[in-house]
Amino acid sequence: MNQAQNRAGAGVIGWMCGYVPEEIILAAGLESVRIRGAVPSLKQADSYLFPNFCPYVKNVFDSGLRGEYGNLSGIIFTNSCDAMRRLRDLWDSHVKTPFSFMLEVPRNRDEDAVTYFSEQLAALQTQLENFIGAKISRDSLQESIRVMNEQRALMAQLLERQKAKTAALEGSELLAFCLEAMTSPKEAFTKKLEKILAQSPSVNSGLNQQPRVLVVGSVMDRLDLLEKVEAAGASVVAFDTCAGLRHWSGLVQEGENAVHSLARRYLLKPPCPRMPGFERRIEQIIQFVRDYSVDGVIYSAVKFCDYGLFEAPVIEAELRNQHVPFMMIENDYVFGDMGRIGVRLEAFVEMMKGDVD
Amino acid sequence: MRAYLESIVAFTEKKLEQKPSGWHKLIKEIASTFSRAFDENAKVVWVSSYAFPMELLWAFDVTPFDFELACNIIPPAVSGNGSSIMVAAENQGYSRDICSFYRLALGAHVQGMVPRGDLFLTSSYYCNGKAKTNETVARAQEKESILFDVPNEISRSSIEYVGSQLKGIASRLEALTGKRLDTDRLKETIRWSNTAGASFRQVNELMKAKPSPWDGTKACFLGIAGSLFWGSAFRHEINVMLIHEMESRIQAGKTFPETYRVLWFPWPPVQQTNIFATLKEHQVSVATAESARVYWSEIDESDPFEGLALKALNDPHVGSSQRRVKAIVELAKDYQVDGAIHFSTPACRHENGSFRLIGDALRDEGLPVVNLEADMTDERNYFADKTRTNLLTFFEILKTSKTR
Repeated sequence: MNQAQNRAGAGVIGWMCGYVPEEIILAAGLESVRIRGAVPSLKQADSYLFPNFCPYVKNVFDSGLRGEYGNLSGIIFTNSCDAMRRLRDLWDSHVKTPFSFMLEVPRNRDEDAVTYFSEQLAALQTQLENFIGAKISRDSLQESIRVMNEQRALMAQLLERQKAKTAALEGSELLAFCLEAMTSPKEAFTKKLEKILAQSPSVNSGLNQQPRVLVVGSVMDRLDLLEKVEAAGASVVAFDTCAGLRHWSGLVQEGENAVHSLARRYLLKPPCPRMPGFERRIEQIIQFVRDYSVDGVIYSAVKFCDYGLFEAPVIEAELRNQHVPFMMIENDYVFGDMGRIGVRLEAFVEMMKGDVD
Repeated sequence: MRAYLESIVAFTEKKLEQKPSGWHKLIKEIASTFSRAFDENAKVVWVSSYAFPMELLWAFDVTPFDFELACNIIPPAVSGNGSSIMVAAENQGYSRDICSFYRLALGAHVQGMVPRGDLFLTSSYYCNGKAKTNETVARAQEKESILFDVPNEISRSSIEYVGSQLKGIASRLEALTGKRLDTDRLKETIRWSNTAGASFRQVNELMKAKPSPWDGTKACFLGIAGSLFWGSAFRHEINVMLIHEMESRIQAGKTFPETYRVLWFPWPPVQQTNIFATLKEHQVSVATAESARVYWSEIDESDPFEGLALKALNDPHVGSSQRRVKAIVELAKDYQVDGAIHFSTPACRHENGSFRLIGDALRDEGLPVVNLEADMTDERNYFADKTRTNLLTFFEILKTSKTR
């Protein structure tokens, strides 16, 4: 079980998708935590869901069935994908938390979609108000926007340092920070970030001779893959996964219409594989390759993730045109098959080393 | 593909010369519509007709090309040789974990079998794979893909969001055809849709007869593939033919022997299987199918965009599984079935993810349910002996359950 989900006290609201505005949860005086799968292997979920189903969703469901989220007051689900929609159905029937909300995240990114998303966020706010039995004031929403913007701005500084010839942090360290940020009280973590940023950025001088890797894809809640790449002699300088670059990108405009500003920032942030538009994703990844001086790209996807299965061949073809080595790694969320994956990663790093030399 | 489609047209024409049949007429019209998509002058719109309000397209008289349907009715797919096409997509990196329907369409695209699209429309429902397939082909053909995004809740704001997208799509169709939207024509297509909706309800009503006067899996196919023609007079014409056929079958007592009646969900396989022969051999009739249900109320022709938005929002595959649970249980009661068959294709994650809830609800009503794990169209995932054993076990359970 995650530490954040274990903390005592009522009022912990969980979420799984980066399109959920944490600001509204915080403004309600509730704690906001990203839900991670909490069990090393499944015991019960397989009797509810088919074998070829998202292992992240299955792990969360199994964890819920086994009471691993004891202090969770509620979950905000999203229509991120087919598996996530079904998780909400099963959760409400078989796990049940005091609060449950399905946030509809539009797939389009035009003004009509922003308007619809604003209305969805207003509905979420109303439901949370009903849950806590109090109104969320305009001031508390503005304050939570300020808190989250502060954290995002600091994370952006940390991510910026990774562009340097000598990346400030190992990718696994960076992922650990990102995951911690998503499951920790915001202000305490912001202080921790300030301390890290106050340190000299060039602590890992050994990294500057290594091939630089960008990891892209979807959910990646464990460090295994990055640690393996690093152990093989490469440096993961950045990752654009659910917890990575796109999650921290852009600030919420502070001002009058807070809910509308939240809708704009969240819906229009750099898209994930779920959103339509391969071109936008390709441009974004190629930009990361340039910005972070990347020597190779690893696409990490949990098994049976349709978005990854459709996107990876398209991205691979584009990156190969740009002579950027690419490899796709599918995993079972807990990286139980790390031995097999490790061999492929080592070979990939060796290939990049040859290119770098 | 055009040659395949024309061979289907020729085959069904011969059948129709021998005997009028609503079924053959439907197949012929589907094949001939898709064949027209290869005409140089056709304005071709790629679409998933079962997940888009086709009434809007018929108002513009464009040629719809439903890539899922087209690729799955051609001989290689129905004769158990779909993988010969799929492998072309698999060789380009498209995993076998992707739904076979989409691998088939991607493979057909890679092999240059599909027509060009002038506009690519896709929908956020039923599943994630459909939209991504449409987008993949659109990109390869250097055309834009438009996503019709339908939320999973019905409210004033979702109706407006969906309605406004339909207006935007109408503008795109105006640009494509060079014609302004004729609102009278749109009202006419909606009127036809409502008329056909009413006649399809009649088809469904007749299917309640015991023994069953028609094959429910064909009704299921009509519910899905027949979506192509919502908004056209043809859809009503087919329904009327089927009504007459069923009425005469009932009057003449020419129905199949029926020991057990079952409900089928969600859709039948496209490839040849031993399933239907096994059902027939054991006198098990498919009395009804989930996809044969008319799930929407009459569309308001005076407010066509809102009416069509509501039709999309009411689709059973939009929203929570609980919506389907309720509808399927009602269907089972209405048709007095003895049990239910769930046909599960491996990568149909949105549907398979609902199975536990639906299965439990049916069992709570005392109805046995079997899950046939097979594949819609990839013969490499179909095992005839295993399927037959599953069915035979299910029949034993039906026997015990009915005796009890």
